[in-house]
Amino acid sequence: MTSLFEGVGIALGSLRVHKMRAALTILGVAIGVMVVMVIGSLIAGFNKGLSDMLETLGPKTFYVGRFWGGAGNEDPDDPNPWRRRPPLTIAEAERLEQLPTVKFAVVDENANADIVFEGKRLGAVSIQGRDADWPKVAGGDIYPGRSFSPLEDKANAFVVVINIKVSEQLFGERDPIGHRIKIAGLPYDVIGVYDPPTGLFGEGDQNEVFIPYGTLVKNVPYRPDWMDFFVAPEDSVPIERAIDDVTIALRTMRGLRPGQPNNFDVVTQEKYLETVNSMTSVFKVIMIVLSMVGLMVGGIGVVAIMMISVTERTREIGVRKALGATRREVLWQFLVEAATLTLVGGVIGMTAGGLISLLLAAATPIPAYVPLGSVIVALVAAAFTGLLFGIYPASKASRLDPVEALRYE
Amino acid sequence: MSLAQQFRTGDTPLPDIIILTHKLARAYDMGGEVVRALRGVSLQIRRNEYVAIMGPSGSGKSTLMNLIGCLDTPTGGEYWLNGQKVSDLGDDALARIRNKEIGFVFQTFNLLPRATALHNVELPLIYAGLGAKERRAQAAQALERVGLGDRMEHRPNELSGGQRQRVAIARALVNDPSILLADEPTGNLDSATSGEIMEVFGALHRQGQTVVMVTHEHDIAAHAARVVTLRDGLVATDQRQAA
Ligand SMILES: Nc1ncnc2c1ncn2[C@@H]1O[C@H](COP(=O)(O)OP(=O)(O)OP(=O)(O)O)[C@@H](O)[C@H]1O
Ligand SMILES: [Mg+2]
Repeated sequence: MTSLFEGVGIALGSLRVHKMRAALTILGVAIGVMVVMVIGSLIAGFNKGLSDMLETLGPKTFYVGRFWGGAGNEDPDDPNPWRRRPPLTIAEAERLEQLPTVKFAVVDENANADIVFEGKRLGAVSIQGRDADWPKVAGGDIYPGRSFSPLEDKANAFVVVINIKVSEQLFGERDPIGHRIKIAGLPYDVIGVYDPPTGLFGEGDQNEVFIPYGTLVKNVPYRPDWMDFFVAPEDSVPIERAIDDVTIALRTMRGLRPGQPNNFDVVTQEKYLETVNSMTSVFKVIMIVLSMVGLMVGGIGVVAIMMISVTERTREIGVRKALGATRREVLWQFLVEAATLTLVGGVIGMTAGGLISLLLAAATPIPAYVPLGSVIVALVAAAFTGLLFGIYPASKASRLDPVEALRYE
Repeated sequence: MSLAQQFRTGDTPLPDIIILTHKLARAYDMGGEVVRALRGVSLQIRRNEYVAIMGPSGSGKSTLMNLIGCLDTPTGGEYWLNGQKVSDLGDDALARIRNKEIGFVFQTFNLLPRATALHNVELPLIYAGLGAKERRAQAAQALERVGLGDRMEHRPNELSGGQRQRVAIARALVNDPSILLADEPTGNLDSATSGEIMEVFGALHRQGQTVVMVTHEHDIAAHAARVVTLRDGLVATDQRQAA
């Protein structure tokens, strides 16, 4: 234990003396550790955002869409299978909502358009066409004001809920409720301000407004190809039954004969998560490869700096051996030194990675955060790199002949 | 003039004899050509003797000191230290013996340049496995013994040559070794400072310390009670003298 502290002290001392050489080593390890930290925190944040979103949707809500690609399903001979499928329609959503096993089916449709208020223009704002149930699904708060009623929804009223970001830009400190803004050239009454939950897909981060679905379809230019629904089964109904009902209803409406495949996709949260996880596992592989490269660079630096250190301190090794240091004690001293070197890199990389994660959390919709596990993994990986790459120089030091080492000039 | 009865291979030395070498040999293989640095040295040194080893350059003095100090292993003969045969021990066992039984003083001091005097003196105690508190106390005591109680926090480059060598002596003493070995301890010092170091050695000898020292200078060797002269890897003369 005492020689451990001594080793750390010697290591820090030789860091001070050989700043340039140590820098390469520390940089390599720091980059490796930083990559682990940043990607780790992104994955952790992404997963957290996902589970938050699924929580607001309720555990049984499932997704109905024109085509669910997912990762790894691509067929090179058939790159665009969705082209053969008809887009979903609002009529289909209304039909699904009437099913006794379905609590609600939320339409999610969007377009981009300019918004103008008193000569102030916001370009390419995301216009979301929703039905009256949308706040239930999306989570978050509407304050001040309210969302559109089922009546306004049915009537394709010209009312709009704007998100906080749009409100701040158009109205500043003023209360936007009751004012009239122009979307794609037509006037809408602002009835509410939406404060979104920290979400996965950038709600709240971009300029976004919400209008009744029918109003969007009729009045805002958009591509009607990619409408999809989130369907929630009734509380007492098992998800499988609701899925069966939805599938049968859509097949009937689309006139599919038995034996013909579905020309739409129904995706449960489990499958949704599976797809997302296969995406994040790609990130994980990238993370491991990048951090390995960083740690390798650091490791090679460790070998270089430690070999120099051993050569320069040949005499010291001779003295220590003459005073009774065994091979194992000399080996240990240099291993501790190597691990200290990489640990310094590890701490620097961790600090940098932590700061970057904080910045990412502030600047992007992903609620990146640093889980304790990745801090530990990063530090252990750094120390282990030092030990692993320190073995060669340390064992070289430990095997020096004391008489020759003492004579070394 | 025989100092002890003739030692035969297979005997165990008398308890009073700290160092016993029997036909000790050390040869270096220089790529085919064999250099025989020691060719059969038989020596017996008793507890509390003060021995100077002299001889021309290349006669094998340092080679013998390294063997006596367990830094090196002989290629022939036997070496008994404190009644234990050490000539065929392995690396780790020799390291333990160096730590417990041997105190080295070198011509070039061999202090760790970045460490304080105190820390330098603590080193043998670290390898002896002592706790930090005890180490500091013993190291401080050893420094006081050589008159450097007021220089403990100084680094070697903040000390004079004589002071550095005294730190080295304190380091050699701190483990209370059976023998103090010094290879030309005054070789890098002026004559006044050499005299001071010899006084330290003399005082240690009077306190009961066994001292073996290599020197080129007759007036340094004059401090010892016995002078062994080597020539071509063999003992040429072995004489007691008035201290
Ligand atoms: N590592 C070695 N390899 C080869 N030969 C060696 C080695 N060490 C010593 N020798 C040879 O052994 C002989 C004795 O050397 P040693 O260092 O013991 O002499 P010394 O009496 O201490 O001389 P000096 O008074 O110059 O210090 C010399 O001939 C030397 O060249
Ligand atoms: Mg010599």
